[in-house]
Amino acid sequence: MSKTEAEVDPANQQEVLPEGTTAYFKRLHTWLRRAIYVCLFALVVEGTLFVPFLVVWYGWPTLSMHQICDELQKVMYSDDTRTCKFPYPLLGPAEAADEKTSQDTWGVQPKPHYPRLGFRELVTIHDQRVARESQAAR
Amino acid sequence: MNFPKVKTKPLDSLPSLPDQVASGQVSYEDHMAESKRVQRKADIYLMIGGFFMGTLVLGIIGFPIFFYGLTILRRAGREGLSVRPLMVTLIGFLVFIDAALNSFGWALDLVANHTLINRTITVAWGNFFDAGYFWHYNQLWIGGSGAPGEKSWEIACVLVVFPMRMAAAIAFLQLKRWGHQWLIVTCWFGVVIWVGYVANMTIYADLRYTNIGFPVIAWWIYDIFYITPFLAIPYLHTVNREIFSD
Repeated sequence: MSKTEAEVDPANQQEVLPEGTTAYFKRLHTWLRRAIYVCLFALVVEGTLFVPFLVVWYGWPTLSMHQICDELQKVMYSDDTRTCKFPYPLLGPAEAADEKTSQDTWGVQPKPHYPRLGFRELVTIHDQRVARESQAAR
Repeated sequence: MNFPKVKTKPLDSLPSLPDQVASGQVSYEDHMAESKRVQRKADIYLMIGGFFMGTLVLGIIGFPIFFYGLTILRRAGREGLSVRPLMVTLIGFLVFIDAALNSFGWALDLVANHTLINRTITVAWGNFFDAGYFWHYNQLWIGGSGAPGEKSWEIACVLVVFPMRMAAAIAFLQLKRWGHQWLIVTCWFGVVIWVGYVANMTIYADLRYTNIGFPVIAWWIYDIFYITPFLAIPYLHTVNREIFSD
């Protein structure tokens, strides 16, 4: 690896350093280069994987993206009647501007009361509500 | 088990281009023209790769393209052509991509907060990593995250720091002096952002980490790789500044 960065010139046996790197900082620059490779790789991998990971965690493909949005809002605002309006009017007011249903312990450090959502738990919540609604309709 | 060794080019037996220039075999103009051609070729691959890597989800497509561009540059450097140093290329592109990725997510929350993709992906991200993007989402008049302080960081970073950083990274890649100087400024800005942001999240930890997918540790695992501007700072302060010009 260091061969390319700091080659030894066979003619005068003098080390040829990359442009901009002085002998004193050669080792620092080598370690920085390695750390940069790690960060670059990690950023790309996590950037690519986190979207599919999240949509699967929250119920896709059993639930559509719109249904996931719907279910997340029901949990967020503790309101089973809440729906994710889509498409939303371009210059409309913030969709939750007037909501009064979300549960918190208010204070200088607000503490939310919504439950933790586990792996694909939105699917279960969705199915149970659909079952409840169809039972009530009968 | 002895694996057969990959044959490398017999670099030592061939005179490098600067030697050929010195001995008059190749003119200085030819050397510079060839260097420029190879640099341009590498830059095209690096830019296409960098573009994909800056889009998040298509990053994996951009990665091999980017690395092919890097390989062209490394090979050219080994052959004695006058191309941009590898570290300058890496830091310039990494800082640019870092700013692009950050801007992408925060710009969605700032100006596209009522789109379906934002209310699904960003809100799911919030529920999993940081409830600043889940708690009372889209309730502020401006929409998006309602966590205390979060909007201020978005406005300061998306409208000021990241555009500055991207402009500086481009000039840095062109080996311009102001690119080097402004990259130092914006990378130190990165330190301010990290300290301020982490302090804000810690102070409002109750609302940001109550009942989310994986509290605190997941946020660090996800976000630690955004320290790239920190890695640039020691290089920017120790690089020989004579390689940058006006």
